[in-house]
Amino acid sequence: MGSLYGALSIATGALGAEQGALDATTNNVANVNTPGYSRLQPVLVESNPIEVGSVTYGTGVSLEKLQSLRDPILQMRIQEETQQQGQLNASLTALQQTQTQFTTSSGDIGTEISNFFSSLNQISTDPTNLALRQGALTAAGNMATAFNNVANNLGQQRLSLDSNVSQDVSQINVLTGQIATLNSQIGELQGVNQDASALVDQRDVLIGNLSNLVDVSSIQSNNGLTLTTSNGTALVVGGQSFALSTQTNASGVQDIYSEGTDITDDLTSGDLAGLLQTRDQTIPGLLSNLDTLAAGLSNALNTANQQGFDLNGNAGANLFVPPPASGQGAAASMAVAITDPALIAASSDGTAGSNGNITVLAAVQNQPMAGSQSPTDYYSNIVYTVGNDVSNDTAELTASQSILSQLQDQNNSISGVSLDEEAANTVQFQNAYDAAANIVTTINDMLYTVINMDTLTV
Amino acid sequence: MSSIRVNPYPMPDLLAALEDLQQQQNTATLELSSGSSINKPSDNPAGAAQLVQITAQSSQVDSYQQSISSIGGQLSTADSTLDSVVAELQRAISLGVEGANGTLSETDRTGVANELTGIQAQLLSLANTSYQGQYIFAGTGITQPFVADPTQASGVRYDGNSGTNSVTIGNGYQLQVNLPGSQIFNGPAGADVFQAMNDLITGMQSNTGISTAVTELGTALSYVSGQQVFYGNAVDQTQSQQTYLAAQSLGLSQQENAVGAANLAAVASQVENDQIATSATLEAIGKMPQTSLFDYLR
Repeated sequence: MGSLYGALSIATGALGAEQGALDATTNNVANVNTPGYSRLQPVLVESNPIEVGSVTYGTGVSLEKLQSLRDPILQMRIQEETQQQGQLNASLTALQQTQTQFTTSSGDIGTEISNFFSSLNQISTDPTNLALRQGALTAAGNMATAFNNVANNLGQQRLSLDSNVSQDVSQINVLTGQIATLNSQIGELQGVNQDASALVDQRDVLIGNLSNLVDVSSIQSNNGLTLTTSNGTALVVGGQSFALSTQTNASGVQDIYSEGTDITDDLTSGDLAGLLQTRDQTIPGLLSNLDTLAAGLSNALNTANQQGFDLNGNAGANLFVPPPASGQGAAASMAVAITDPALIAASSDGTAGSNGNITVLAAVQNQPMAGSQSPTDYYSNIVYTVGNDVSNDTAELTASQSILSQLQDQNNSISGVSLDEEAANTVQFQNAYDAAANIVTTINDMLYTVINMDTLTV
Repeated sequence: MSSIRVNPYPMPDLLAALEDLQQQQNTATLELSSGSSINKPSDNPAGAAQLVQITAQSSQVDSYQQSISSIGGQLSTADSTLDSVVAELQRAISLGVEGANGTLSETDRTGVANELTGIQAQLLSLANTSYQGQYIFAGTGITQPFVADPTQASGVRYDGNSGTNSVTIGNGYQLQVNLPGSQIFNGPAGADVFQAMNDLITGMQSNTGISTAVTELGTALSYVSGQQVFYGNAVDQTQSQQTYLAAQSLGLSQQENAVGAANLAAVASQVENDQIATSATLEAIGKMPQTSLFDYLR
């Protein structure tokens, strides 16, 4: 049976519900520029009706909860793409620095190799001319210096990438610590059925930052959120975080450890993986190619010089300091072995005026050495590889950026705050509140009528 | 709501678009200022690798051209020296013919013999010609090749060697640039310049065997002329190779342009398009609603 008090309670319930809904709107408007904020939506539900005889009476509205609108699957995709982007960004930034060393210029390795062979050829026109010989010796020194510079710069770059690795690791540790703390707080709130959406938003922002650094997989279980790297190394389990550590390895750079296990080679994406890939593969690969080229040139030119005779009629010796037998470090240590231009073995028969051995020395420029390629072919391949790596990474990064921005657009269309929408909601909730308040006034009038019924004059 | 909710934050996308345009303009401006479309290997990896090859080839061609101009002086010096040798020998032959017809008095013959001795000295000096401090008829030796030596039958000793030098003036193209002096001046028996001269001088002095000596000198002359052809040929070869290398060098620079030169017209219009797109984007950002529904609810 309907009653005035029943109606009053429905109306006051409506006042509370609309006020709560307006709270959500207010909070949304307040956080319109907060990064990572997911908009709140009031969930209004019809209260359970009461059946009296054949009549069913409604009991009004209640505000069940303020729901935070987010799409976990979309957010996971965003994390994955962020990891991809982090990795590409790290390796691209490094490679862009690297490739400047291989840009054709007045002093790059390719040009210096050509210059050396040109000045070597000039000796053949006047083999006793000391100025021409000195020219070739200087060009040999310039060629060695070009190799030294590029190798040293690559080595330096490797070390600076290594210090970035350490920075990434400490940043990861800070983030996982913060995420673990938020995990416990969220768990506590949810344990007492409290809304934890504000903390969840904060945690999402931190997971986004973490994704930029390392490959993170997140698993939501009853015990809270677990974060692991894609190979399963735990980073955060509920309220506990597992810090990564670094340890200097045999080649002088930092390996990454988790709980005593070396996970350096297991990281597949994120900034850290990009840094490691460049530090451990790309740059060492380039260095090893340069070593092959430098060692090949030094050895071939030494052999050629030994086949001839110098200006004094003595058998030719080494033109370059012999490279290490393994070839490792040959580019960084390449150096001319002689300072006396007379020691260039131009003569093929021991007579001072003979130039017969210059042909043998100059032939090194076109003869296959490293990997059955001539020095120029080999070097142009290195340039191609570097350029291609950068160009591929750039293309992948562009693709990844466009995917990420679409995903973020999509996510914003779900979680982002629209001021127009909130304005409309405000009107809507305000109108409903006004209406409910009017009803309270009406019931109040009716109650007044009922209470003063006996004093009314009919 | 039935319709798909729209992303309420368009700003990041617009800013990203602006950044892209800025990047494109930077690249285009660099191309315009450098005139090259490959300013770093990633601009065109295959092209950059090709440029390395082209640069190396150009540098080789340059070095061949430089070699040709270096040996040119030596070759033409040798050629003109041998011209003088031939002229001297012809003068000696006419003197010999004059002496052989038997009309000369002894005094006259002594005069002719003295003149021939002068030619002999001149020939010796020509055989010791040097170019930029290097004797050109010493083989690969560096000391004076022909030395007057009374102990020799010809009166001249060869101190050079029989070595020859070749200079690379093209890919796999080696040009021999000298003949050893012994091959020019000490030809086979009966064609030795100094021996023939010596025989003629002796003949003139003793008035015997002058005709034989003149014949011998004629043989030596035609032998030297034969050797001189070598230098003439070498000069011709360097000249035709010079033409070939100039064409090759032109071809290489055309190739270099085809691979690496910026298409200035295209890049300039690209810059213009980018500028239009930039202003359009900026305008779009400027036109974005500065107000929301809140402003109208009063």
